[in-house]
Order: sequence, then structure tokens, then C-alpha cells
Amino acid sequence: MGGFDFSNHSRNAALHAQGFPLPTATSTGTTIVGCLFDGGVVIAADTRATSGPIVADKNCEKLHFITPQIWCAGAGTAADTEFTTSLISSNLELHSLSTGRQPRVVTCMTMLKQHLFRYQGHIGAYLVVAGCDPTGAHLFTVHAHGSTDKLPYVTMGSGSLAAMSVFETAWKGNMTRQGAVDLCSEAIKAGIFNDLGSGSNVDVCIITPEKATLLRNHITPNEREKKMRDYRFKKGTTAVLNQKIITRADISKYVTVHELDDGTPVAAEKMDVDT
Amino acid sequence: MQPTGMLGEDGIHVDMNHLKKGEVNLGTSIMAINFKDGVILGADSRTTTGAYIANRVTDKLTQVSDTIWCCRSGSAADTQAVADIVQHHLSMYAVTNDEQPTTQTAAAIFQDLCYDNKDQLSAGIIIAGYDHRHGGQVYSLPLGGSLHKQSYAIGGSGSTYIYGYCDSYWKENMTEEGGIAFVKGALSEAIKWDGSSGGVIRMVVLTAKGAVRHLYLPDQAYEGPGKQPKAV
Amino acid sequence: MAGMFAGPQEMMGYSFNTAPTSASEPRQHSFYPYTDNGGSTLGISGADFTIMAGDTRSTSGYSINSRHVPKLFLIGGEGPKNKGARIVLSVVGFAADGDALKEKLDKEVKMYKYQHGKPMTVSACAQRLSHILYNKRFFPYYVHAILGGIDEEGKGALYSYDPVGSYEREQCRAAGAASSLIMPFLDNQVNFKNHHIPGSGEGHDLKPVVATPLPKETVIELVRDAFTSAVERHIEVGDGLQMMILTKDGVEEQLLPLKKD
Repeated sequence: MGGFDFSNHSRNAALHAQGFPLPTATSTGTTIVGCLFDGGVVIAADTRATSGPIVADKNCEKLHFITPQIWCAGAGTAADTEFTTSLISSNLELHSLSTGRQPRVVTCMTMLKQHLFRYQGHIGAYLVVAGCDPTGAHLFTVHAHGSTDKLPYVTMGSGSLAAMSVFETAWKGNMTRQGAVDLCSEAIKAGIFNDLGSGSNVDVCIITPEKATLLRNHITPNEREKKMRDYRFKKGTTAVLNQKIITRADISKYVTVHELDDGTPVAAEKMDVDT
Repeated sequence: MQPTGMLGEDGIHVDMNHLKKGEVNLGTSIMAINFKDGVILGADSRTTTGAYIANRVTDKLTQVSDTIWCCRSGSAADTQAVADIVQHHLSMYAVTNDEQPTTQTAAAIFQDLCYDNKDQLSAGIIIAGYDHRHGGQVYSLPLGGSLHKQSYAIGGSGSTYIYGYCDSYWKENMTEEGGIAFVKGALSEAIKWDGSSGGVIRMVVLTAKGAVRHLYLPDQAYEGPGKQPKAV
Repeated sequence: MAGMFAGPQEMMGYSFNTAPTSASEPRQHSFYPYTDNGGSTLGISGADFTIMAGDTRSTSGYSINSRHVPKLFLIGGEGPKNKGARIVLSVVGFAADGDALKEKLDKEVKMYKYQHGKPMTVSACAQRLSHILYNKRFFPYYVHAILGGIDEEGKGALYSYDPVGSYEREQCRAAGAASSLIMPFLDNQVNFKNHHIPGSGEGHDLKPVVATPLPKETVIELVRDAFTSAVERHIEVGDGLQMMILTKDGVEEQLLPLKKD
């Protein structure tokens, strides 16, 4: 049976009472927004993840896949938004398989709110749920305690006030697709520049009855300028105090070693690294 | 929760102002009244998280069966969850008994949930409905989980400002127009004085003919647009 | 399933004090007179110059108060613009205390000149600052101060302080929100910590690089890289970079933009 393991709860409570601080979770001190338009819905997010005042990830993804036609923007505790959305994504796929119907946005929203309500706010997921189903385009917010709202434009996260100020000044009914994308981007930018918890780039997802389009890094207003100096160290700068050589024969006792056919290096997944 | 946490010296006090940190609060002014042909429910539309208005056009009037509605106040999450569960029970009731539930039945189910879980919920609910056996009925279900059948009921943080208004202007067996004027007059006072209440005034008029929604906007001085088309 | 969501009281295995909390119990609210306004500063002294730098963002919580609040101040010059000043004070922490401290030090350095007919030396100013800070030992100025100047021998001078007046002359110092990010970088690049001369020996015998004073141009580049990098990883640092370059000829001020997110 799935669910959380509480076996460490009383131990941790005892430790905490003795003055040990609780571990800090990575929070996506965030700006996320959503906006309905004629024929679909747009959601957008910034890409900064923080732990305290430190930027933990400069280009993280806060737009989560639920179903091909339902996407979710997450604020709050990073792990909670990630696991909650993927759990509901799985359950929604099983649900649609057993009913033989396309999953609906209300269903997704209801599953999320019931899951979050059960945990009384301890799962710190604040979500903007958006999508298209046979009943139309929908946009909801779900708070960690399990309350939901249905609105034509929404914002959440620490930058929600900055973002909402953009919506409250510029939003109009019956928007076009491009109008909604631009308005959401402006709202996220307001969060990026005025809320310290938000930063870096703008991610956008446009959902129409036909298809969902994820525009990863739609706007990148915060590219790092080139460093003035070169910080590569000469080989041999670091003192080698001792060394141990593990031969291939040694390591094969524990893991299987495969020989590569030729000497060409295997392409690994690329990582964003400052040079 | 420590068992002592919620109890006062008298052993029965319930912490009325308890809301979990960061929880969405329906600051709220709500009411429901009986009138000649049925009941009218009314509510403001403001939800807050601290000082921030999270939703300025909230719908706090929630349908739980064909002709039974409720007004929600307190925690948004708690009242939505309770209303969803009651809605489920009532729809099961309607199927198993091949008969629509009465307002009293709905109120009793609400009370069951709110009384049994009083230490975990902050939900103040007004239930109002119309059934052909009893006509229109209004029930008030405040925080402790007690249930009161009343000719009219007010609730939420804004209600404290309108006890005098309601006491002065209340009349039994008002006309629909009279009832709407009473609810509108009371709620606009509550909105005026209570900082946690605001936005538009929503109403539902329940009679033998069914439910009709009304909407009154602040930029029209709460005079219009009034009756809403069926689709809303 | 029900057991899984049982409340904590059923599984208390340990005994520890949980004070019962109740809304009816009186709760003490207190006034906290300090605010952390974020930001970072740094100073590096060279053979015949000192460079002071600080970002210009002022924050409280997740909000930006202003994108241009200087943390570097000229001390003891002439007139409202402090013309001809040869000492620079940088303060980071609680901005209101920083301003008060700057005003007090500036006033005293000016008074010294009027009374003695000669400008205060950096070392004297440094000691005076220490006393000003210690005078408020039990209600401190909530700041990390750095004082820069040129000493009597014409060498770059740099003094750093804790909030209650403990001070030290140093080669370089980073202070404020991103000090823990910048200081190790400075140790490595200015004092050549963990740098060894390749091939100069084996293991422990590998010779460490001996720190030599860096030229001004190199130091400016290091300062700019330190700040553009701190901006990347610390949310309270950004908007603008204020630099003051102190030489025998006086103080040159530079303002450069930093990222605003």
C-alpha cells in the first residue's frame, strides 16, 4: 500500500524538541500564473528555485505534465508539487483507461484537492491547474489546504501579488491566444523583477483542444554576462596527498564492466554549467 | 493536537479564531432568509489569505442537491470539503430512496460532519432549501456543530455588524422583492463595515419553481444587474 | 489505512516537552528594532590602492525597497558631496543603523580636521570607528562595516569590523548576505589559498603559491566577477554595483549595472 511513512515522526519530534533544527526543503518561491483565452488556456511560470536566500536552481521547470491536455504550474515546496502532480497524473491515466474517456480538468482538480485536504496543509503544494477537455477550457487554483477557485485569470506563489497587479490592470475578456501568452509573460516578468523569490526565465504552456504547446524558456531576460577573467587552474595546482589505483579487475568484482567498441566517448545528458 | 489545546477553562470553549497558517479564509458575510414563496441565500464574494484578497468574485453559495444550497464561512478548504461530502451523501440518498432529500436531512448530514470533526474544522455554514413537504427552511450550523432552525440566519465575520439592521427590518412572510431588498440591504452594510467582506453580492432565490441566481455589483451601487440567466 | 493517518499522540514513543498552546492563553508580542536589508560588500587592498565595492539593492523579506541605495560612503570630505575625502566606509546589514553610523563617523572625522587642522589618518579613523561601535555594546549597530583608505606609508589599508567593534586590518574581506559565497573566492584568487606551483614537489612538498600584491586592473576584474557571480546565486544581491577605487590621487567612483531579477 502506498502513502507516506511516518515511522520517523516521533523521533524527529523528540530531536526537534531538543533543539535540532528541521531540515529545510527547497521551496520554489515562485511566480505562477494562468489565463483563459478564446479557445484555450495559458499557464506560465518563472524558473528560479530557492532554499532560503540561496538560488538552488536557476532554470528549473515548474510546469508539470498531468495529461497531454492538462498541465499544472506548481508553487510551494518543490518536492510536494513534483510528487503530488505525478501521483495525480498516474491516477488520472488509470481513471481515463478504466472509464474509456478523456480525463477532465475538474476531475484532476478534485483529485488534487481531496489529496491535499487529507494532509491538512502539510503537503505544501500550491497549484494552478489548466487544461482542455470535452467540456471546454478550464483554469483552477488549488491551495495546500485543499481549497479551490475557478477564475478567468489566476496567480500564485510569492510573486502572485506582483503578477496579479499586471492582470488587474491589463486583463480584458475574450483574449486572443497571443494576447494571453503576452499577458501571462508580462505577469511572470513582474514577479521575476519585483519578487526576490522569483527569477531567471519565463516558461509558458498553451493548451487548446487540439494540442498543448510547451514553450520552455519562452523569454530569457536574465542571461549572465561573460566573466571578465578565466578561472581555469593549471594542471597540478592542487596537491595530491595520496592516491589509490583501482584496477578494472578489482572493480569487476562489484559491478559489470562493459568495454566500449571504439574509443569514442559516449554522449551523456548535457548539463548547464558556467564556463 | 493536544486535547487541552482547544478547550478553555469551562471545558467547552472552541477556539473560534483558529486557522492554520497561510490558510485561505472566507472572511465573509453570509445570510439566508425565509420569505413568502421560499428562501433566499446571500453572500459577499471576498476570500482572503491574511491581508491579500485571493479571490474577489468567489461563489460562497454552494448547491448540495437540486433544491438545497448552503452558504459557507470559515476555512475555504474545510467548507468545500464538507459541502462536497454532503453533496455526495444527498445524491446517494436521492438514488436509494427515489426521492429528493428534505432540507432537514441535508442539515442533519452537515451537522454530523461538523459536530464529529469540530476539533479539526473551522466551518460556519447556513443551510437553506426548498422541499414540497416543508416549503422553504433555513438552518444555521455555527462552529461548535449545533444546529438551529431559524426564520433567518446570518453568519461570518461581517454578520456582527448587521444584527441590529436585521432585527429592525425583519418581517415574516416578505414578498420576493422585499426579501431581496432585505438581504441586499443587510449584506451591503456588512460589506461596508467589515474589512474581510467585499466584492459583489450573490444571491440564490429558491422557490417551488427552482433556483434563480442574482448578482449585484459594487460599481452599480449593488442595484444590478440582478436576476441572472438560467445558464449561470 | 486508518492507522496510517493516526495523529501523533498515538505514536509518541519519546517523552519531551510540548507546551500546550491555546488561543485563550496570553501571547507575548515583541517589537524587534532591526531589519536585515540584504546586500553584500567587499574590500580589497593592494600595494598602493584600496578597492571597496557593494551592490545597491535594498531588500526586506522577498521585496525590493529600492534598486539604488548605496552602501559605500565617503568619510570626512568637504561640503555635501564630501569632496577630497580619502576614507571610504562600507556598511551592510541594517541600513538605518548603517546610515546612522556613517553620519556619526563622518561628523567626527570632520570635527577632528576642524579642531586639529589636519586630516585624520586611516588608522586613527579605524580605531575611532571601533569605539563608536563598542559604545553601543548592548544595543549594537546591526552592521558589518569595512573601512578603506591609504595609510601613512602610501599602502592600501583595509579594516573590517564586527557589529560591536572588534576589528582587524586585512588584505581582503567580503561582508553581508553573500559573504559566504564571495569570501572563499577572494581567499583563492587574492591570497592564492589552495594554489600550488605545479610540479614543484610531491604531495605535502608541493610548494604553495606565495601571495603577491595584485595590480589594480586585476582586482577590479575580480570584484566584478565576484558580484556578477553572487547575483546568480543570492536573491538579495543585484541591481547595481558601486565601486570606489582609492589611490594617492583620491577616490574614483564607478557604477555598473547588475542583473535585476
